[in-house]
Amino acid sequence: MRKGWMFLVAGLLVMALLFAGCAQQQEKPAATPTPTPEKTAPEEKKEAQVETLYFGAPISLTGKFSKEGQMSLWGMQVAAKWINEVHGGLKVGDKVYKVEIKYYDDQSNKEVVQSIIERLAVQDGVKFVLAPYSSGLTLAAAPIAEKYGVLMNSHGGASDYIFEQGYYYVVQTLSPASKYQTGFLDMVKAIDPEAKRVAMVYEDTEFSRSVFSAAKKHAEELGFEVVFDKTYPKGVQDLSPILNELKATNPDIIIGGGHFADGQLLVSQLADLKINVKAISILVAPALPKFYDALGTRAEGIAAPAQWEVGVKYSPEAAEKLGVDYFGPTQDEFMQMFKEISGSDEPPSYHAAEAAAAVLSYAYAIEKAQSLDPDKVREAMNDIEFMCLYGLWKIDPETGKQVGHEMVIIQWQGGTKKIIWPPEAANAEPYYPIPTWEEKAQGKLAVK
Amino acid sequence: MNIARYKPLLPMAIIYAVLIVIGLTVPGMWQPIAYFMFYVALGQAFNIFLGLTGYVDFGYVAFLGLGAYGMALAIKNFGHLGLIAIPIGVLLALTMSILLSLAVGAVALRLRGAYFAIATIGVNEGFRYLLEGVRLWGGTEGIVLSGFMRKAFGREMTNFLSTFVSDVLVFIIAFAAAVITITILNRKMGYALLALREDEDAARVMGINVTKYKIMAFITSAGFAGLIGAIAWTLKLTYVFPEDVFNIHYTVEAIVIVMLGGAGTLLGPMVGGLLYGIMKYYLSVVFPGIQLLILAPLLIITIVAFPEGVVGYVKRKAQNTRLSEYLR
Repeated sequence: MRKGWMFLVAGLLVMALLFAGCAQQQEKPAATPTPTPEKTAPEEKKEAQVETLYFGAPISLTGKFSKEGQMSLWGMQVAAKWINEVHGGLKVGDKVYKVEIKYYDDQSNKEVVQSIIERLAVQDGVKFVLAPYSSGLTLAAAPIAEKYGVLMNSHGGASDYIFEQGYYYVVQTLSPASKYQTGFLDMVKAIDPEAKRVAMVYEDTEFSRSVFSAAKKHAEELGFEVVFDKTYPKGVQDLSPILNELKATNPDIIIGGGHFADGQLLVSQLADLKINVKAISILVAPALPKFYDALGTRAEGIAAPAQWEVGVKYSPEAAEKLGVDYFGPTQDEFMQMFKEISGSDEPPSYHAAEAAAAVLSYAYAIEKAQSLDPDKVREAMNDIEFMCLYGLWKIDPETGKQVGHEMVIIQWQGGTKKIIWPPEAANAEPYYPIPTWEEKAQGKLAVK
Repeated sequence: MNIARYKPLLPMAIIYAVLIVIGLTVPGMWQPIAYFMFYVALGQAFNIFLGLTGYVDFGYVAFLGLGAYGMALAIKNFGHLGLIAIPIGVLLALTMSILLSLAVGAVALRLRGAYFAIATIGVNEGFRYLLEGVRLWGGTEGIVLSGFMRKAFGREMTNFLSTFVSDVLVFIIAFAAAVITITILNRKMGYALLALREDEDAARVMGINVTKYKIMAFITSAGFAGLIGAIAWTLKLTYVFPEDVFNIHYTVEAIVIVMLGGAGTLLGPMVGGLLYGIMKYYLSVVFPGIQLLILAPLLIITIVAFPEGVVGYVKRKAQNTRLSEYLR
């Protein structure tokens, strides 16, 4: 018995040593991943040398964001592959850099994120970091990134407040929360100037609150009248009292939602109470295929904002029309490379596209700045505007907030998810006004 | 006061000194060490209650959360006065967590064993829903301080506070909790708690006021949790969200750390916290994605190999040797 324990102890020690050894071995080659060109390039060799440039990333491979984390990692790897193989590497001066993603698992955990950012910045010498997934983790990482002066590009932190704290080195690639429902309002305004009365009913979470306070402001600017504005708590089981109140205000359009379960409940109870309006846009839920599985024809015509969707039409031609560069793989190339890298038939989610866009924006800015200095690249980012598979990329120079990218609006039409807005990304016409619940119950679909 | 009885603090002080030296000299090791120390401090604070009384408090993180809010409110309201806001925050965090522990302790400590554990789970969840439901202190939107602190204290100062000062303070909190632990162990209170942990009824019959000592240990432990929340959470991360801070996950981690190192021992939480933190960090760096599959068996093996915790085991082995003076 005693001996057995000794073996266990010894085994543990060996493992510990092994980890320490592995860790050190990893550190050595990575110690100078971004060598300063003057020092390492021998004078004699004038032809382009290929060196490796690491983009660092804390990825949530385990914990509550593991699904989103895995998708983002694949997206980043696709973008790196495109840069290396199709674009031919990053050309800075007379040197060519191959891009590689150096990632560690942050376990969706704040404490780990901070350590990993420091490790990337100091031990791995990474100058360009892709922010962790979610606004909370991004906020936890920001002070450390700022301390070491490394750039951090947010591809999964949508909240506006991250960019209101005065962090210079933090920039954003995805649309901020404040823009989630504004595109839908623009769309309704463009189709039907008669629709005036907006009802808002949404989950009481930090995220939904920032979405809908911005939506309210935007609606009022567009001349809508917000006739109903109420929240429901997280984990709600019954929305009928609040929806009865809503019904009494007789709205033209409804915007609302929060997460999946409440979004689905919201739509099914709107159907039960026969609250008919001209258009409905719900956060998150309708963007997922299981929404239609759960609701069937009741989901017809329901719209939702999405950061990106398989089938968007952003392309080199669309970019040319707008007079901006197109950079990165086309939609088809992206789908194919994604399949190769992920090794599965699972289609990419928007998390993959936004992470890829973040990598592409670094690459584009580095080539524009012709420098690997984070300060120069950050400065170059102020002026660049380009399109990639994910849409436009342009930041507000002051805050680093994304202002170029627009949310796409999807709508369920005849059992498929169609992209209806903005026009340059759309693959279908909006179906407006949507069929009434009675019509849907008789099997009417939102197809012309 | 018998100095010899404080000898076990020596190995601890040496280990902390080594950690600080490593953190300051090895590039990129400061944050990981701060991260290990967060676990050490959490374990050390929780040990005062769990380790000494044998009661499992599943709502422990509520004190941490309240402490975090105490500091956030102090910075928000007194930030314009300058850095004085931070000591005010520490006091506020202490006061708030101790008040809550009085309220919880008065009710829940009348229960025993599993019933106590069940009663305390509610405290944490209840608090979170209270904040969110009543929209108290920012409700679901929490309190985000980074920008405000940068305006109030300056950019450099804020960076210094959240990436250095807070980490050093965590060392101090962990050490202070250890000093309190050994003081309790050396006094009548320690013997009373030992008696109550082994057999509460017998202790009561012997004339020990078990409720009094339980509540004392509970309040002390909760106060330290409040300090950890104020320093390692708010000052370090510069924001508080109710959902993140009142997360039962941290309670579970604290229990694992105390058990791993040895409940009721002085050095146990330090060993447990370091083991847990180091395993978690290096596994996520070396085996990103599958580290939990490795971490879980490692934890199970450790617990099976050392049922009384690592320190408990070493202490038993070292009995009657000169080493035993330094182990507690």
